[in-house]
Amino acid sequence: MTLALTHPPARIRRPLVAPLLLLGGLAALVVIGPLVIPHDPAAQDLVRTLEGPSAQHWFGTDHLGRDIAARLVHGGVRSLGIAVACVGFATGVGVALGLLAAYAGRVADIAIMRLADLMLAFPGILLALLISGFLGGGVLPMLIGIKLALWPQFARMARAIAIGELAQPHVEAARLAGFSALTILRRHVLPPVLRQTVTLATLGLGAAIMSISSLGFLGLGLQPPTPEWGAMISELLPYLAEAPVQMAAPCLAIFLAVLGATLLGQALAEPPTMPEEM
Amino acid sequence: MSAARSSFWPGGAAGTVLRIVASRLVQAVLTALVLASLCFAFVQALPGDAALRIAAARSGDDRVTAESVARVREQEGLDRPLLAQYASWIGRLAQGDLGHSLVSRQPVWRELAEHGRFTLGLGALGWLLSYAIALPLGIACGFRPGGWLDRGTNALAVALASMPSFLVGIGLISLFALTLRWLPPAGFRTGAHMVLPALTLALGLAAFSVRIIRNAVVEVRGAFYMTFARIRGRSAGAAFLHHGVRNAAIPVATFAALQFAYVVDGFVVVETLFNYPGLGDLLVKSLLARDVPMVMGAGMVVGLMYAAVNLLADLVCIGLDPRRLAGRDA
Repeated sequence: MTLALTHPPARIRRPLVAPLLLLGGLAALVVIGPLVIPHDPAAQDLVRTLEGPSAQHWFGTDHLGRDIAARLVHGGVRSLGIAVACVGFATGVGVALGLLAAYAGRVADIAIMRLADLMLAFPGILLALLISGFLGGGVLPMLIGIKLALWPQFARMARAIAIGELAQPHVEAARLAGFSALTILRRHVLPPVLRQTVTLATLGLGAAIMSISSLGFLGLGLQPPTPEWGAMISELLPYLAEAPVQMAAPCLAIFLAVLGATLLGQALAEPPTMPEEM
Repeated sequence: MSAARSSFWPGGAAGTVLRIVASRLVQAVLTALVLASLCFAFVQALPGDAALRIAAARSGDDRVTAESVARVREQEGLDRPLLAQYASWIGRLAQGDLGHSLVSRQPVWRELAEHGRFTLGLGALGWLLSYAIALPLGIACGFRPGGWLDRGTNALAVALASMPSFLVGIGLISLFALTLRWLPPAGFRTGAHMVLPALTLALGLAAFSVRIIRNAVVEVRGAFYMTFARIRGRSAGAAFLHHGVRNAAIPVATFAALQFAYVVDGFVVVETLFNYPGLGDLLVKSLLARDVPMVMGAGMVVGLMYAAVNLLADLVCIGLDPRRLAGRDA
């Protein structure tokens, strides 16, 4: 790990271009889409159900005659927005607790890391599934569930890096020179932690998008008629044979969003070191 | 995490194994306790009358009467104080009594066994299939890193890893059930019904394990002991079989346990997608019906299985790499 005294200027390396364009493009579509597409995502038109793509309905209509394109962009705001919020929260909580575990002594360390172990003892989306299921879908249960499942990775990573940094002679020197704990953490520990955090958060974004759409697909995420990519897919599933284009649209949206996050995470992870195994 | 506590434990081989078993046991017990407390808390926090909900789930919304609600309230002990309910909840659990499903009124363990059979079959088939795909492909890629097969496999693996399992499943249904009409799209009556769900699981698993296998093979092939074996006059194949396989198997075995987390996501979603009556399907249906004992039972089985799989992986790693017994990390 390099010293944190000099920050290399932020520059965009070549492998980052494609995934950044992909994610940026999707985000732009989702933000601009609702302004461009005139249809209401919840407006039903029972005369024109399961219609193919046309000039009026770009991706056709679903089984209730709702415009797929409108539902896609309105759903995207939720799918992507909630994913970003989940990862943001998980990063903040995880990094803070990880630094606390590394700095605040043995009791805090054991307490925090045991809690992290406990959370990791729930495989995959089980925890998010239980919480969303019990609390009856909606944004908040999903936020809580996915955040609970994600933060331990950030805490472990932050703690591991922080312990390594705190053992460095320049940190010892700062401590002897009388700098406060907060200053030392901010100046010497946080920068290398944050560098790894970006990678882990990007990969976590992909995982969060998948979890949100999986919950939606299972009927345990956002409740209809709220448009959400996973829920759209499960609603269209009975009409798979009649409406392949309508089905392909949300599928492709999820795929591209997760692909963008995965590729970005991989590209970020490549030159330095891979994040620690779960 | 074991290193931090090593001073509490006897040293040597037996101590290491004991420590691993103990830490996984603690994991299992804590998981069960957290699940039970969570479930209890949620039951209490649910808005509305629990007895009314259960009665409605049993007889249908429109046929609930005041008497049936009162009967449910008495049968399920919903009228006792909170702490007493919690104590009896945990106490019964400690005796291994998971209770009865609120919906079907069957004992929870019987429902779990019934659905578990299906999941076990699907999981085993999916797992085997994933290694049938990933092992030869990963080894082939590892022997020619950077070749066209390696690059193609990598692109495919990244694409597959970017899809939640229902996307993979829908793709397979569209291709094999709707277009080619080779296989049934959903259900569980015949063996043919298992092919698509198992393949969906397998592809999702293989997308990750193929990279791990490939990297393990690349690393082992570049190791000094391989060069030495070649200098001694062994052929590349013989050297790999003799020195490579076991070393390459260590990261692969560790990863196989981590993959269980993916299997959980996988079978919950895959079973719902294919309408396959396994544990995942049971879990989702119970969650939607707020059938708490059933949810707790299913969640517990999944959590305990995860602890067991992790323990198995730990022990397999020791078997493959006895250096870990001496307390030195390999």
